Order: sequence, then C-alpha cells, then structure tokens
Amino acid sequence: MTLTPDQAALDQWYVLGALRDFPSGKTRSTRLLGGDIAVTRRDDGIEVVGEGRALPVRTNYDHLWTTFGTPARDLFSLPEAAEPDRRWIHCGGVHVRASGLRLIENFLDLAHFPYVHTDILGSEEKPEVAKYEVEQRRDVDELWATKCEFFQPKAAAASDEGQISQYMYRVVSPFNVMLYKTPPTAPNRWDVIALFVHPLDEIESVAHPFMLVIDDTSSDAEIIQFQQMIFLQDKIVLENQRPLLLPLQPGRETPTRADLSSVLYRRWLKEKALTFGTEPRTDLA
Amino acid sequence: MTAGWTPIALSRDVPAGITRAVIVEGRELVIWRGDGPAHVWEDRCPHRGMRLSLGFVRDNSLNCLYHGWQYGASSSCVRIPAHPDLTVAPTIKANAYESAEAGGLVWVRLGGTEPLPAPSEPVTPVLSFAMEVDSLDRDSLMLPFQRAELHLHWHRVGPARIMVHAVMSGGADIAGAAAFLRALRDDMEQEVAA
Repeated sequence: MTLTPDQAALDQWYVLGALRDFPSGKTRSTRLLGGDIAVTRRDDGIEVVGEGRALPVRTNYDHLWTTFGTPARDLFSLPEAAEPDRRWIHCGGVHVRASGLRLIENFLDLAHFPYVHTDILGSEEKPEVAKYEVEQRRDVDELWATKCEFFQPKAAAASDEGQISQYMYRVVSPFNVMLYKTPPTAPNRWDVIALFVHPLDEIESVAHPFMLVIDDTSSDAEIIQFQQMIFLQDKIVLENQRPLLLPLQPGRETPTRADLSSVLYRRWLKEKALTFGTEPRTDLA
Repeated sequence: MTAGWTPIALSRDVPAGITRAVIVEGRELVIWRGDGPAHVWEDRCPHRGMRLSLGFVRDNSLNCLYHGWQYGASSSCVRIPAHPDLTVAPTIKANAYESAEAGGLVWVRLGGTEPLPAPSEPVTPVLSFAMEVDSLDRDSLMLPFQRAELHLHWHRVGPARIMVHAVMSGGADIAGAAAFLRALRDDMEQEVAA
C-alpha cells in the first residue's frame, strides 16, 4: 500500500499514538494513510518523517499528532484538558481491521448498546433510541449530536446501578471524535471519552481511546479494564461489517432515525470529498 | 459448479437455532434454521453491513448482532428495536437465495433454472471437510466403502479450496468412513502439491 492521493484525507491531523508510546532515544516506524512514517524521540523533541520528509508535529493532550498535508485549521481544541480535577487515562491502542471511518461511526451509535454491550451500556429490555438533535457547526467545522439519552445498566466503571445517561457527541475531524457523558459520581459535570483513530491504511486502523474523567472512586486499572472490554466488543462488530470500507453511495445501507448522526457524518465526508476509507462509488459520472 | 443448485452443507450441521457462515465462490452466505427448513441468505445485514452469521436465532427469526434487527423466515425485517413502535417498511429485507434440503444436504441456487437434483434413497450424513484443491472432476462422486456407498458432493470456496460434503447410503461405520475420507483428502492434496 502506498500513500493515498486523497487530498482531503492528507489535509487532516492524525494521531500516531500516546506520547508515552515513543521512548526517548528510539525510532519507531509505523504507517499513516498507507505511507511510511518514522518517529524519533530525542531529549530535545520529537521528529516525524513521512515518505522521506519532515512532517509537522503536535504534542497536545498527551498524544503525538502529524499531517502529510496542509490542514485548514490547527489541531482541535479540547477545553476540558485544562480542568485540573480531571484524570487523564490512556486505554491503550486497539488494532482493528476496518476503515477508521467505520470506527468513528460506531462510536457515534447508540442503538448497538443493548446488543453489543449487553447489560453494560444497554439492555435488551430498553433498546429504544429517543429522538436527538444533530447539527453541523460550520464556524468550527464540527458535527454535534446533542440531547442523546439512553438507559444503561452499567454506564461506567464506577456505576453500581442503572441510569439514564445523557450523551453529547462531537466530531472534530473525520478520524477524531469525543463524547460527553454524565458521570455516575458527578451528575452536573461531563466525562469526556475521546476516540482518536490512526488509519494505517484504508482497512486497518488503530483506535486510541482517551478519557478525561471525573471519577474519584475507580482505580485507573478498573477504568482501563472497563473501556477495553467495551472496545473489544466493538472490534468484533467492526471486523465483520461488509464491506470493511464505509459506503457513501445511497442505497448501499439502510439508515433509520436512530442513525441521524451517521447520516450527517456521511454527508459531511461527501462535502469534504473525502474518499480514503470509503467504498468506491458506482453511481457517480 | 458456479450456476444452478450447489450443495453447501450437511443438513445435520445446521440444527435448529444455529447459524453457519459459508463461502461459495467467494460469496459470503449464512445458513440458519428456525423451526423449519434451513434458510440461505447473503451474510450481510442491509442496515449496516454486519455479517448475519454472528447474529442469533430466536422465535423462528434471525436477529442481527449489531442492532438486533429481526428478520423473519420470509427474510423481511419485522422489528427494529431502536424504534419499537415503527412498522418496518416491507422494502427492508435480507438478501435471500432460493434454497432447499434434499439427500441430507442444504442446497442453494446460484443461477440457472434446472430443478433440484432428485434425492437418492435415505442417506446418513458423514462429514464436511475442506480440501486444498481447485475442483473435483465431477459434480458428485460415489465411492464404495465396506458394504456402503459414500456420496461426495462439494462446493467451491475460492481459488484452490473446496468444501466436500459426504453422505452415505447403506450401513457402515461412520467413524471409519470419516477416517477413510480424511486419508483420501490427504492423498489428493499431496497429488496436487506434487
């Protein structure tokens, strides 16, 4: 696989991993968008070389970011990262054999909770997805889904009973998304769970779940174990969707009202003319 | 073997309440059984493309693992759990193939118009096994074994791989027949490799 020619995909910021994944004095190689990447960490900084040239580097939010192209904006803002009482928790990268766009879409999906995360994030007794709102915020070029509600038997590591969780979703770029969710221990705050997707190529991705949580009862290990269980359940689904690439062609899949955020996400990708990780279309001239 | 009726599994290996994933000429299919005959569908939920073979059989219907969409024996979607009060549009259905059971086998029609091969006398299922060859000389083979006859049917999975479905007429020891077939497979694979 070679580097994608898709300019819309090249002009985005991508995570390459948590900073702690790149030890000082070492060079690590990986791939991004099908192209070869070498990351070298030195005492005075970190260098990312892609396809033989030095690439821009960002180290925000404990992660390493780069781009092959010229993003229209700098890396997204994450205001909650400045709040001192939040715990930053890295859940570890999860390799998934699927398009990174499928990973983002699954992250936005409420309706799978009762079936994929049975008796944890959802219950078969209460599978209904209530109407929620979606909007494209053009000033910041982000997608938001708000007023999402779902009954959850065990919403988080610290839950000891079921609750109706409130959710908000924020898509900040085609491969980066976060959700805001009411924590069991602080109903007037929002936990932040981010999913940064590192697309190695069109059908192989590494998901980096990252949490900024208000939770003073669970240990890091308990929170990580909980999130890893959730992501491994998602991985089973993601690797068994056909095709592995995200279809954008009308009629290839069947959205319903619960899929409003997916519909908006796909429309936004089309607007950007992004094709990397999408199924080739046969309906366009 | 690409057109017409193709044998894809032993009926015995698809008991009630079970799904089985099979690949036929590169096509991913699911076989599942509720209360009656086996069904053969494309292994893909039309909602989000999830393989239905990972789903679960309940109430004589196949339910997708991803969002619980429920498909009845007619292949129409009858329930979308995220919208319990919704009457599902009749256009939402899984992609069903024409299928039948005869001679101890599940058959699928991948094309053609010819009738299902006439079932032989009652048979005993022996086993299905994969073989690393591109094809067999004929659509089915008959081999004497002890005082019985082994009938070998097969379907092509893809390049250099077939699945053989063996049934037996007449009385013979099933474990012995299975061992005989495994030895036969090893011989044939070595011939191809040589």
